[in-house]
Amino acid sequence: MSLVDPQFNKAGTLQHFIDLQGLDAEILKRILDTAEGFAGINDRKVKQVPLLRGKTVANLFFENSTRTRTAFELAAKRLSADILNVDLVTSSTSKGESLLDTLRVLESLQCDMFIVRHGDSGAAHFIARHVAPEINIINGGDGQHSHPTQGMLDMFTIRRHKGDFSNLIVVIIGDIKHSRVARSDIAALTTLGAGEVRVVGPKTLMPADVESMGVVVYPTLDKALHGADVIMGLRLQKERMTNATVPSSGEFYRTFGLSPKRLALAKPDALIMHPGPTNRGVEIAGSVADGKQSVILEQVTYGIAVRMAVMSMIMGNSDAMNAQTRASNETSAAEVTS
Amino acid sequence: MRQTHQLTGADTVCRVKGARLSGQSEPQDIVVQHGKFAACDIVETLDRQHLIDIDASNCLILPGLIDLYSRCREPGLTRKGNIASESVAALSAGFTHVMCTPDTVPAVDSVATVELINHRSDKVQGGASIIPMAAMTVALQGEQLSELATLQAAGCPVASQADVPIDSTTVLYSAMEYASSFDMPLLLTARDSQLGIDGCAHAGAMATQLGLPTIPVAAETVALSRIIEICRETHCAVHISRVSSSRAVKQIHEAKQAGLPITCDVGIHHLFYVDELVAGYDAAFHSQVPFRSHEDRQALRDGLSTGVIDAICSDHAPQDIDAALAPFPVTEPGLSAYDWFIPLMLQVPEVTELTLAQVVEKLSDAPSGILGFSTPEPFAIGSSASFIVLDEQATITPENVQALSAGLNNPLTSHDASSLGLAPLKGKVSAAVHSGWLTQFGQDTAE
Repeated sequence: MSLVDPQFNKAGTLQHFIDLQGLDAEILKRILDTAEGFAGINDRKVKQVPLLRGKTVANLFFENSTRTRTAFELAAKRLSADILNVDLVTSSTSKGESLLDTLRVLESLQCDMFIVRHGDSGAAHFIARHVAPEINIINGGDGQHSHPTQGMLDMFTIRRHKGDFSNLIVVIIGDIKHSRVARSDIAALTTLGAGEVRVVGPKTLMPADVESMGVVVYPTLDKALHGADVIMGLRLQKERMTNATVPSSGEFYRTFGLSPKRLALAKPDALIMHPGPTNRGVEIAGSVADGKQSVILEQVTYGIAVRMAVMSMIMGNSDAMNAQTRASNETSAAEVTS
Repeated sequence: MRQTHQLTGADTVCRVKGARLSGQSEPQDIVVQHGKFAACDIVETLDRQHLIDIDASNCLILPGLIDLYSRCREPGLTRKGNIASESVAALSAGFTHVMCTPDTVPAVDSVATVELINHRSDKVQGGASIIPMAAMTVALQGEQLSELATLQAAGCPVASQADVPIDSTTVLYSAMEYASSFDMPLLLTARDSQLGIDGCAHAGAMATQLGLPTIPVAAETVALSRIIEICRETHCAVHISRVSSSRAVKQIHEAKQAGLPITCDVGIHHLFYVDELVAGYDAAFHSQVPFRSHEDRQALRDGLSTGVIDAICSDHAPQDIDAALAPFPVTEPGLSAYDWFIPLMLQVPEVTELTLAQVVEKLSDAPSGILGFSTPEPFAIGSSASFIVLDEQATITPENVQALSAGLNNPLTSHDASSLGLAPLKGKVSAAVHSGWLTQFGQDTAE
């Protein structure tokens, strides 16, 4: 019924990394295991491995981002790739050039991998379907749909602290409706078999039929936090206050803000997570964000290892696929000449 | 692909042999001379050279269908289609009369634009008659009323805002009062001007999974309530175009029971497709009026069976290739309906309680009544000949389908019918007589 998942190549391996929906637990675990190998690199004298030497990675950011772009840039550098930052926010697209035309121009720069961030849901899917076959796409966030490397670094952080997922109660708070991070976290957590994934927030921030994603909707934050092992906050955009989605940041904090008092309802060793940047006093109290249960900065650090894992895996799959194609071409050419 | 013969000027006579008329069991011959139905025995007096015989022994003869909602894209948007291409495609889909939307560039808010459309439609040899709807407001901006009485006199049977929602309730009220002064029906789409206006998919599990901005059912029902309440006071005849949800069908049912002059139609694709089909960001299913849930689709099928829904339209929306080459939310919506219309139409009896004859009525008599057309007794000697010859058994595939519309944006060009829950596709118009022309489809061109 649906289109073929564009993430996989003909050999059935990951060619692009676009969406955690559709990836099985085995692939997710392999990414986490690979990331473990890279996590120690920070402690080494030389913080670099030669896996992507000679490859060129281009950061194509159609939407502003400092954190994600920097993390990808650092990950690429640690893999010894050349990295190109293309600022597309103020460039061609605003001059009326179509996304496909922009893509063709960038293809001509002979890069090996594109990291794409775009404001429209489905943009990474679209680019993966239309990009030249030798280029790999990693989704750095598309609209309200998916932010798969953020999802994986969140899983990495949880696994480091909690080990197994099966008994975990994970609470995701706030703007589920407009959040690509929430969708990726939900997809990863349900695939990895988390005990229960709870979502909580005002109904204006809850998408239709959200239960169909395998989560349980809680009416109040207090109830949702009861017995929680992991608490994930989400950024509340300022525009939600001006477009009548939420009355004010103050009311949001009073109803769905993670205060020290509320935190006490969760398990004593509950992890506090947030994709950043945090709005202190809106989604989360400053003391909670900085508290001893908070792993918010660890998430940022692990983001590099996880992105290194994803980039090297994808590029490895692609190189293997290309080698296979070359070999089979040579074989058939040899058959023709003999 | 297509052969045309003029039946008016020269003494050419067309005889359709062994035709089975819808609702009649005995086959008979139909003769057309000077563009009108004639007695069969005139053939005896005729020079054979002037007789064109069409073997219709395995075919069904239907009255020309009337399309209540279609886009020909001319003037102004001719990269997507034009009157020549779309009127021929419409005829191949069985339509002899096509109501085209006023959202052209410029909009149909002046007599000059009406005359341009009429003129270009008249020039097409062997196509459907393209009839423009008047833009209800100047440039469809929802502020100033167009010269509705003048446009009506120029040949626009209805006025419409096309897919442009109207913001001001005052203007809507005024338009309904004013149009009713001239017995001009309004053809309106129930879509709120703000709620879900940035949406591109039904608010359901699929849109949630894909992170797509949504169009909730309330965006339709809120707008519909406003129209119904104004109708209650103005008694303006209103036709609701392309109902999409179960709750809207219920609202229209209640309005009809209250005796309001309201009619409605459903787009042919909404009888078959649902929101789940946008999985994988499949832009082939990005429709202006979104495909909704299974429950909504069932309500549309039931509404058609019970008569709450009066008619079926094509909602034809040809697009150029570039329209779909973008991330889903920014692709241009719409399905090009005509090239695949007949096989879908023939499957409507399978998903509703209607017979084929009743389905044809929803595409001919019903729209004719809504538009206030006079309906002559079918096939009466001396009356203008307008009918189609339908080969019900012809197998249709992407390879042999007649791609006459400029728009190739139909899911069936890229999806198996079975994968969309459809039966194998069958049926095509093999010939049509309309407006003094005989058109034979699937023939080598003689032009």
